[in-house]
Amino acid sequence: MKRKILALLLSAAMAATVLAGCGGSGSGGAETAKTNTSDTNTSNADASDKETEEAGNADSSKEDAAPAPSGEKDVVTALLPPVSATYQDKVVEYIEEFNAANADIEIELTTASWEDMTQKLDIQVNAGSPPDIAFVGSDGISKYLDLGMLVNLNDYLTDELSDFDDAVLNYFRNGDGTYGLPAYCEVQCIGGNKEKLEAAGIDWEGVQKNGWTYDEFREAIKKGVVSDGGSTSCYGFVFACAGVTAKDYFSIFVKNADMPAAFDQDLKYAYTSKKMLAFLEDLRALIDDGSMPKELSSVDAGKRWNMMLTGQTMITGKGLSSFERSAYNNNKLLAEGSADAVENSIPVEYIVLPVPVFEGEQHAQGAVDGYICLTGEKNPDAAHLQNVAKVAYYLASGERAANTCQELYLSPVCDSGREEYAKLDPIADKNEANTACVENLTTQVAQARPDIPAELSAKAIKIEDEVIVPKFQGLLSGEVSPEEMYQAIVDAGHEAFGEDGCVAD
Amino acid sequence: MAAFFYKDRGNNIMDNTRKKKMKKETFWAYAFILIPLCTFMVFTIYPVVSSIITSFQDYKPLGSEWVGFANYISTFKSSLFYKALKNTAVYTVITVPIAILMSFIVSVMILPFRKGIQSFFKGAFYLPAIASGVAMSFVWKWIYDPLPSGLLNSVVRFFGIENQNWLGSSKTAMASLIIMAVFAGLGQNIIIYIAALLGIDPTYYEAADIDGSTFLQKVRYVVWPLVKPTTIFLAITSVINGFQSFQTAYLMTGGGPDNATTMAGLLIFNRAFKYFEYGEACAQALLLAVIIAIFAVFQFKLSANDVEY
Repeated sequence: MKRKILALLLSAAMAATVLAGCGGSGSGGAETAKTNTSDTNTSNADASDKETEEAGNADSSKEDAAPAPSGEKDVVTALLPPVSATYQDKVVEYIEEFNAANADIEIELTTASWEDMTQKLDIQVNAGSPPDIAFVGSDGISKYLDLGMLVNLNDYLTDELSDFDDAVLNYFRNGDGTYGLPAYCEVQCIGGNKEKLEAAGIDWEGVQKNGWTYDEFREAIKKGVVSDGGSTSCYGFVFACAGVTAKDYFSIFVKNADMPAAFDQDLKYAYTSKKMLAFLEDLRALIDDGSMPKELSSVDAGKRWNMMLTGQTMITGKGLSSFERSAYNNNKLLAEGSADAVENSIPVEYIVLPVPVFEGEQHAQGAVDGYICLTGEKNPDAAHLQNVAKVAYYLASGERAANTCQELYLSPVCDSGREEYAKLDPIADKNEANTACVENLTTQVAQARPDIPAELSAKAIKIEDEVIVPKFQGLLSGEVSPEEMYQAIVDAGHEAFGEDGCVAD
Repeated sequence: MAAFFYKDRGNNIMDNTRKKKMKKETFWAYAFILIPLCTFMVFTIYPVVSSIITSFQDYKPLGSEWVGFANYISTFKSSLFYKALKNTAVYTVITVPIAILMSFIVSVMILPFRKGIQSFFKGAFYLPAIASGVAMSFVWKWIYDPLPSGLLNSVVRFFGIENQNWLGSSKTAMASLIIMAVFAGLGQNIIIYIAALLGIDPTYYEAADIDGSTFLQKVRYVVWPLVKPTTIFLAITSVINGFQSFQTAYLMTGGGPDNATTMAGLLIFNRAFKYFEYGEACAQALLLAVIIAIFAVFQFKLSANDVEY
């Protein structure tokens, strides 16, 4: 009998292990770093008074919010990815400082890789129990807004919102609401190998300052091609286009074809314009010229960076400011003769370049990422949401913003961040021409469109994913003609928005 | 009479004891069954029932809306759904027979070796099955490198074939995924086939030898019929796995180019986790489940009539 009971208990225990990992939001998972004041008092002794004061005064505008009952801490949960190389380590310190300075609030942190981040968040959102704060791209807010899961920060922050650059903050706005706080605005452009650019006779400094037209760009990348007996050892331009990265190529370049957003100012779907057909023909011509590999549709992000470092391309995309550091680090490894340097790589001085203008004005693609605040089935009260907004502002501003931006080779997008940034040691061996170019491009970042309703945005995203990206992959591999792709976009646009809802020219 | 009475009473006592014992044993049997039953209810029955309900709703985490058959209607109207079904069918119909045939041939070739060498081959072929899908996709991406320096391109160039954009062209993308799937699933089939081959009574081979059978005749008339239950098992489970295929397309091509490798599993995943259209995703998943069930029953009826288990 005893044996049977024991066996039954063991079986039950074994079955219960299946449930391991399921748990309430309060329990910490393996990746959860719960930091509370009592645990961190010692470490906080070293924290500067100013930092503590800053953390404590992160919000002072909404004095009327009800404080948590004495003795009980209001737990604010946050799901954060590795925003920069050392972000996930530093954020633990930031949280310890905040918890030490705010006796009534405790931030509970869960970290995730970039790959897991969206999936983890989406599952939690759809289960109705998301974290209070999450780090996402501003282009993702429409889907969370559509589900009614986002907190309008206008209700909880006032003075703090004026800390941020309005044009960048607009990326987190929809209608009259503000649904997130930006951590940075990363200009997505292209970048070149200085030595190869100069060898091809390209005035890269002039291009950085004045930009270039499509025709100038087309001629320039032709000069970058090195062929020998029919085989090409160096292409003029390679953009990562494998799988979903094709979306980057399309969306970064289409902004400079006089279509800065999927909808025009009258909220008509813009991609049905004839400009789209011309744009697609122009992109295809770059491959037909032989300036880009005909296998472009299979070149992924890792491959094209490898091609850049091994001298197989003169210009690459998409380009981020931080690539300058990647190239610099590899150059250092090469100089040291380290085996960690990329195999067959050559010294590369990375030059930031603007995307060519096909038609209209120069519009840079800005990837604005930041902190959103979420609600859920628990329907948190105003006092809790006040605390959540306070934590979000704390993470997005001041020293946190300054450090993150410096690591990413970016400029902060809030006054408090810029103030702290000025106090940091300058980056060693930074190419100042690149810095100036990025600053210039940041001023040209396409205007955010908070006027586009979430429902329209969601439909446009679906067309992009189900029609534009698949057809674009076909276009790059030479299996879909520009006309066929354009017609598919027009058909999808008419079906989703009606003929009256689409641009016809 | 008395003796009979006592005997009868004795029987009654014995019956009661047996019944009590039976009752006890039955109780314990049910107690042990209850644990997996609960797990089955929670992790299989509940999700199935829940997905049936969700397929009639516009799912929202803070309150879903009943929409009747709208999700099914929208699925039937979607040309992408039919394309995904076609892709899935092509993938399955090509992958399953090739994988089964290849694993059978390899198993027959491995079988005559002594145990150590047999284990080496079994381990070598099974290795991809235990490797992570993501790691495998990296290896295969390296093999399918589109540039002339790529591994497979170097091989085909040796035969005078020009450079291929393996994953980037709709002409070769599906074939590339099929090759990957065949090699990835080979190990498991080989292990099962070898177990079945070892279960064949050697007297059949001796009888065939006496009749003067050749090696191929023995394979055709002795081995193949005797491993038929195994083949049917592998065929049915492989078809089900093929229809549920998601990982290869998700990791290798993302469904492209031009949806040439979008499988039903990937379509359902995108619908649910990309667009948060859980209702439509559930409707598509249930339709796929029905299709798989029809295929499995059809396959079973067609090929299992003369098989004894």
